[in-house]
Amino acid sequence: MRKKDILAITTLAATLTAGAASVQAATLDDVKSRGTLTCGVSTGLAGFSEKDENGKWSGLDVDVCRSVAAAVLGDADAVQYKPLTAKERFTALVSGEVDMLSRNTTWTHTRDTSLGINFAGTNFYDGASFMVMKDLGVSSALELDGANACIQAGTSTELAIADFFRQHGMSYKAVTFDTSDQTRQGFESGRCDFLTSDGSQLAALRVGLSNPANAVILPEVISKEPLGPVVRQGDDQWFNIVKWSLNAMIEAEEQGVTSANVDDKLANGNPANKRLLGGEGELGANLGLESNWAYNIVKQVGNYAESFDRNVGMDSPLKLERGLNASWKNGGIMYSQAMR
Amino acid sequence: MFKQKTIEQTKSAARKSGGNGSAAFYNNPNIRALFYQILLVLGLGYFFYSVISNVLANMEATGIKTGFSFLTASAGYDVLMSLIPFEATDTYGRIFIVGFLNTLLVSGIGIFFATLLGFVFGVAYFSHNWLVRKAATVYVETFRNIPLLLQVFFWYFAVLSTLPGARQSLSLGEAIFLNVRGLYLPKMVGSDLFWVAEVALGVAIAGIFVLRRWAKKRQELTGQPFPVLYASIAMVIGLPLLALIVTGMPFTVEYPALKGFNYFGGITVIPELMALAIALSVYTGSFIAEAVRAGVQSIPHGQTEAARSLGLKEKKIMSLIIVPQAMRVIVPLLNSEYQSLVKNSTLAAAIGYPDLFNVFVGTALNQTGQAIETIFMTIVVYFVVNMVISFLMNRFNNAVALVSR
Amino acid sequence: MKEFEPVPARPAPDKTVGPLAWMKENLFSSLLNSLVTLAVMALLVYYIPPVLDWAFFSANWQGTSEDACVREGACWVFVNAWSYQFFYGTYPVEEIWRINLMLVLLALVILASFTLPKHIRLKASVIAWLVLPLVGIALLDGRLLGLPVVSTDLWGGFTLNVFMAAASIIVAFPFSFLWALGRRSNMPFIRSVSVIFIEFFRGVPVLSLFFMGSVMLPLFFAEGTNVDKLIRVWIVLIFFMSGYMAEVFRGGFAAVPSGQYEAADSIGLSYWQKIMLIILPQVIKVSLPNILATFVMLFKNTTFLLIIGIPEVVQTLQTALSNSYWLGGHALEGYLFVFLVFWSSCFSMSLLARRIERQMNTDKRD
Repeated sequence: MRKKDILAITTLAATLTAGAASVQAATLDDVKSRGTLTCGVSTGLAGFSEKDENGKWSGLDVDVCRSVAAAVLGDADAVQYKPLTAKERFTALVSGEVDMLSRNTTWTHTRDTSLGINFAGTNFYDGASFMVMKDLGVSSALELDGANACIQAGTSTELAIADFFRQHGMSYKAVTFDTSDQTRQGFESGRCDFLTSDGSQLAALRVGLSNPANAVILPEVISKEPLGPVVRQGDDQWFNIVKWSLNAMIEAEEQGVTSANVDDKLANGNPANKRLLGGEGELGANLGLESNWAYNIVKQVGNYAESFDRNVGMDSPLKLERGLNASWKNGGIMYSQAMR
Repeated sequence: MFKQKTIEQTKSAARKSGGNGSAAFYNNPNIRALFYQILLVLGLGYFFYSVISNVLANMEATGIKTGFSFLTASAGYDVLMSLIPFEATDTYGRIFIVGFLNTLLVSGIGIFFATLLGFVFGVAYFSHNWLVRKAATVYVETFRNIPLLLQVFFWYFAVLSTLPGARQSLSLGEAIFLNVRGLYLPKMVGSDLFWVAEVALGVAIAGIFVLRRWAKKRQELTGQPFPVLYASIAMVIGLPLLALIVTGMPFTVEYPALKGFNYFGGITVIPELMALAIALSVYTGSFIAEAVRAGVQSIPHGQTEAARSLGLKEKKIMSLIIVPQAMRVIVPLLNSEYQSLVKNSTLAAAIGYPDLFNVFVGTALNQTGQAIETIFMTIVVYFVVNMVISFLMNRFNNAVALVSR
Repeated sequence: MKEFEPVPARPAPDKTVGPLAWMKENLFSSLLNSLVTLAVMALLVYYIPPVLDWAFFSANWQGTSEDACVREGACWVFVNAWSYQFFYGTYPVEEIWRINLMLVLLALVILASFTLPKHIRLKASVIAWLVLPLVGIALLDGRLLGLPVVSTDLWGGFTLNVFMAAASIIVAFPFSFLWALGRRSNMPFIRSVSVIFIEFFRGVPVLSLFFMGSVMLPLFFAEGTNVDKLIRVWIVLIFFMSGYMAEVFRGGFAAVPSGQYEAADSIGLSYWQKIMLIILPQVIKVSLPNILATFVMLFKNTTFLLIIGIPEVVQTLQTALSNSYWLGGHALEGYLFVFLVFWSSCFSMSLLARRIERQMNTDKRD
């Protein structure tokens, strides 16, 4: 009886240690043998990674996970989403709990060099700015000396705002909240004079106010917040796959390839289209993937513009402008490395 | 007959086993004990060895920084409330101290009010007034059965955030202001001779102990009780006041005033502190009320009857006969309630009160990525604080136990 | 001589029974009492109608999306649309019978522990309790039973709170018993290790233990092994609970009269026979109310899992609140719902604990 118990427990323990993914071994092989990609996302961030009432994940960050899954496994839905808090995200990545992180993570020097991780590109160029109530009568961030700030805890905004106020010789009090929804409630109750966060989040928080017209977003952008997917150090092949999956979405927009016309472009498009979609050349094979890797991304997830509009742009409740995130052809800085 | 036989058998069996036992060394309890303990030492040693070597290997492989050098690095972010001067350029080490003091502050306030609420409602269980009795039951059964996290949210987001904004503050005589950003109180700022009053306060507090001892002796000798409580209050207020008058009021009062966006000057009690302190007091108070109820119920009814027959008044029966005896049951429970209050104060993270856990395991861990060092330091602090509470309460417990016998 | 003068008859006594008399005695016995009563009544009259109006009369009940909430009152549509996730997390709908079956099993085992015939009750229920978590994992995960695998990141909602609390306390049970024995042991090393263990896990905040589980524990495992987050947190909870329960059992051991130990020794039982057959049943019995209280504490503390991003019910609520199609701010409705669910379950458990306690007290008097 007792021996049997022990046996049962050991089997269970063995099965539950999640396939014992090795950190050093090729992540690509692990993902292929598992049949799913495990992707670290935010526990809930409007427009970037959110769950709907049916439990389905969507968002700009989620689309990066989906595009990697489409490229590697040919199925954008073969993703296991692991909601992670800001604090545990790097540990989870480094320990191998997730294959990649796509969790509105700011690409900073310190993180890139001291945490054992690599940033695989930028899928959203953001910057911290301020939102105030209209009746405060403030039109510039420089008038905010002595004011209270509502900030979400554990974000790089916390450091950016301290720098900004010190630089201008002003003082402030930071009221930090755990989640963005609480930050909004704090702002709305008048606990602080202004709310500071990444521009994309300010838009989402403003939509959530009981009367969005009462609040304005100030023109100053006080920091650079390039957000992008992250992989762990030491697996260059996997690093390349994530980097080029993101590039494929951006490149597809540049070339005008969309999920609607992708079949047509593969058959009748120009050489660049064909090279991207696997009709010609060795791009897939060089990554260790099928030749139709990018075709799958565009077909199942769409190009960057489609993803943007659907999740945070004009087709979503957030209604963000493209701004910096427009393709370089339209005056933005979203730019894919050369796909050849 | 049958019985006889069994006893005989048992005896012989005992003799037999005794003979064998002395021969086989493994039946010697001392050797067995030694064996088990060596086994445990080896097991634990192996466990710690493998954990530590795994940690080192993992850190090496992933390139995570180690060591406590981050404590002297500049933090670069601000803390909402600090009992000691603090700027964003100060070090993580200083943040640690700031957080620690904030934890002590909220725990201290929480323990004080939780005890007060607990004893008031615990005694209210035995009130003759139906409404009061029911109020005690409703209070205990409501707040004891809701997760503390929800209560913290409730006080912060549903109650305190409905206060008026900074420019519409409620005020009391233009000296005390209350708004959604906190409670603003005037502050005494002492000048050169202010230390005399501080010394007087110290003397008054020391005097209370002397007074108590004297009053007890007097009561034992003469049977005359002395109003220790009133005398103590008079001393604590009177002596410093006297000192102030003698030295010619060497202080100025700093009133809070609205400048720009906020009130400045005076003492600010931030709403995060209020919400957390209220939630902790109300939650722990409900458990203490239960403890007090259990303590009072453990006293046999005969004690009350005996006291009545001696002609003691109802109030005196409670304070002189019942509660002192009940303390023997109550104090150990209080001990564990105080400890859980300190531990629960970590929920500050949910509403952004800058306690140790929030500023250190929260922000500092996030900025430095050094999980093991930050969590280890924090755990040690909570552990030590709880040990101190345990030590003090055990001392107190011994005191009440001695009195009762 | 004075003429006889009868004492005038006293008026009939006030009624001492009936609602009026009761009110006079309990609500209006003195001036202060009457004032308190009136004040409470005034408050109720002032506050109850608007609350009822918000919660019921002008609330929004029908619809499936935010747009359906057009009336002034509460938006119960929000709670309704997300109710599946609040209860079950993202567990697949077609596999939901597994969670329901598990809840039924849990209820059955609880029922059995109180209703089985006395001679087999203790043994049968202890075995059932110990097997339950194994069955639970096998069933919910599905791997061992050949069912479709449902990975732990899909588990969530209120049932996760229930299962996490139940699974930790049950698995902690035997360990805590050993720690309690170790604390009573005569062997100095075993005793001090037990004391350190118990005091450590009782002395540190559960939140810091959760953080250990989420960010520190991954570094403890050998390179290349990777234990699921939920399992890591579960391990931490088991340690935490075994520290707490060890103290509960210590109280239980102290309550068993020393004559029981001596009697067991005198009939020649071995140490383990003595503990398992004589002492343990008595310890469990006297500890029952405290075990239940510890469980309620743990159950409430499972909401802290939100801080490390485990999708228990409050975390699910916060995820729902940050969905861009539900940004209207229905926090109040959501929290009210969570509050009601928790309060009703914790309150009924407190009542149960109190009942057991009372029953035990009558046992003692017999």
